[in-house]
Amino acid sequence: MNTIFKIAWRNIWRSKKRTLLTVSAVFLAFVLALFMRSMQFGSYDLMIRASVNGTGDLQLHKSGYWENKGINESFYYNGTLTDSLRRIKGVKTIIPNLQTYALISYGKQTKGVLIKGIDVQAENRQINLSGKIVRGQYLSSGDNGTIIGDRLAKFLKADIGDSLVIMGQGYQGASAYALVPVRGIFHMPSPEMNNSLMYMSLVTTQNMVNPYAPGLLTGLSIFLNKSSDLNEIRSKIEKAAGDEYETVTWRTILSDMLQTIKADNISGQIMLMILYIIAAFGIFSTELMMVMEKRKQYAVMVAVGLQKKKLVLVSVLETLMVSIVGIAAGLLLAVPVLEYLNISPIPLKGAMAEMYLQFNIAPALPFSMEPHIFISQISIILCLSLLSSLYPAYYLYKLNILKTFRS
Amino acid sequence: MSIIKAEGIFKTYNETSVPVHALNGVDLEINNGEFMAIVGPSGCGKTTLLNITGGLDLPDKGKIFIDGTNLGGLSSKELIDFRLHNIGFVFQASNLIPVLTVKENIEFIMMLQNRPKAERDGKVEELLNAVGIIGKADYKPGQLSGGQQQRVAVARALATNPRYIIADEPTANLDSASTRELLDLMAEMNEKYGTTFVFATHDQRVMDRAKRIVTLEDGKITGDKTISK
Ligand SMILES: Nc1ncnc2c1ncn2[C@@H]1O[C@H](COP(=O)(O)OP(=O)(O)OP(=O)(O)O)[C@@H](O)[C@H]1O
Ligand SMILES: [Mg+2]
Repeated sequence: MNTIFKIAWRNIWRSKKRTLLTVSAVFLAFVLALFMRSMQFGSYDLMIRASVNGTGDLQLHKSGYWENKGINESFYYNGTLTDSLRRIKGVKTIIPNLQTYALISYGKQTKGVLIKGIDVQAENRQINLSGKIVRGQYLSSGDNGTIIGDRLAKFLKADIGDSLVIMGQGYQGASAYALVPVRGIFHMPSPEMNNSLMYMSLVTTQNMVNPYAPGLLTGLSIFLNKSSDLNEIRSKIEKAAGDEYETVTWRTILSDMLQTIKADNISGQIMLMILYIIAAFGIFSTELMMVMEKRKQYAVMVAVGLQKKKLVLVSVLETLMVSIVGIAAGLLLAVPVLEYLNISPIPLKGAMAEMYLQFNIAPALPFSMEPHIFISQISIILCLSLLSSLYPAYYLYKLNILKTFRS
Repeated sequence: MSIIKAEGIFKTYNETSVPVHALNGVDLEINNGEFMAIVGPSGCGKTTLLNITGGLDLPDKGKIFIDGTNLGGLSSKELIDFRLHNIGFVFQASNLIPVLTVKENIEFIMMLQNRPKAERDGKVEELLNAVGIIGKADYKPGQLSGGQQQRVAVARALATNPRYIIADEPTANLDSASTRELLDLMAEMNEKYGTTFVFATHDQRVMDRAKRIVTLEDGKITGDKTISK
């Protein structure tokens, strides 16, 4: 066994140049794969985390809300329920909100927007809204004003202190009207949000939607300490809330984004396959050449008493060793560099930045150091190299020693 | 006492358009401790016969016994194991494993037999002295002369004390000094340990040293003489 190992290891270094060439192919494919995957998963992860930071790990709605998102599927704030949800282990924060669509106008301009009625303090803690104000100020608690996106302000030709007219659908067929002064103008990375989003305090929104009985909510955004506890906590929440309510997790809320990620992931995998097939072919041809060149010495080994299955091991070991050397060299280079890029992401510009902007994420390229990236790439290479050794191993298994001696 | 018994051996190669009858009914008995050469013109079947008596090949017809074991009754795995434990081999050339050192080459068969390290070390030392390769234990075969390589191959064959060693043209690539040294060595092993040696050879220098000469012609034994020295 030991001897077989020795023979395999020394064999691969007998033709140094050829082996180094094959090792380089493995090395290159591996490093490229690691960078690609690390970058992909890093950006997916950041996209998701940033988005979940806004939406919550899950949301509680009145049953049927998620289907229609109508103002009539809203519910009245229930302090007892909220308190009991807060007491569930693993729940970090619960933020109530009331969202509705409405037309707003100022002067001659009119536009449909999404109005988010928010808990001014809590929302600010969660997504740092006040930090995004470029003119004027953020809302104070119970404020009867609004903050709007910079593009929207430009479109309406409205500025700080101007009052906007809101016309929308109120609760249960009523109409919703309000006149709200602009307190501040924000700028977010996403043009979409700058264009058609406005924030108001929860109280002001509730008064607008149903002035006779304020207190309506469309949802509670629930944030967890650990996102891995999601399923367990979700069922506890559903039990506590009862049939009148429904929950949706971030996976549903962000399903469009997850689809985009999935498609991107598949295209990445196809690229990698091509890369790996080239490397595997390199391993295969090197190994086959090596085995064929050395068939005389293998025939002698079998003649003097080496079982064929051990000979097969030589070929398997040789391909594995070449791959492992390539992998080791790859790790030596990739781990420190990726670690660095993990800590200090590369800022992005241009077209690449656009995709990130759409998800309201600062365009900087983070690299993931998730172990599964390394584990899966290493296993793929090892599997492929085992596969590449199949034919050379078969060749050795079928080696006819007398014919080999005669040739 | 006979160590090898070949009975009515036929061997035909069908790979070419005209079948080649390499052996046509060979009966041969080799006794323990013999130092024997199989001779004859090129293509007469020496290598074929040697391979069959060494368990490297099986006859189409006839039986071959080594120490009473019928080789035809063994599976290919068992045959490899039988060779490992009973027969030593010295081939014409490129006998050694190029990536292993002289010491590792000599040890190779002992390793396959799972002999303990202490025994291996002792044996290597002894054999290196016996075959006159001193101070080159850590050389690779490529760093030795042809004669030295053949001596290492003999050392490897002897390492496990097989009762029987076959050697096909062991001197074919050697100069006369190396040939003489190699033959001296094998003759000495034959005397000292009683190891049976069977050669296939064209080499007059080998025939001169053999104690028995079997002549093959067209796949048949046409002569068998024992030389008393
Ligand atoms: N694998 C094979 N396929 C076809 N023919 C073979 C094969 N092996 C041997 N032969 C033929 O069988 C005959 C005997 O061959 P063998 O090698 O035994 O002769 P030899 O006496 O050892 O010859 P030499 O002295 O040249 O080594 C030859 O005619 C040879 O061509
Ligand atoms: Mg021959």
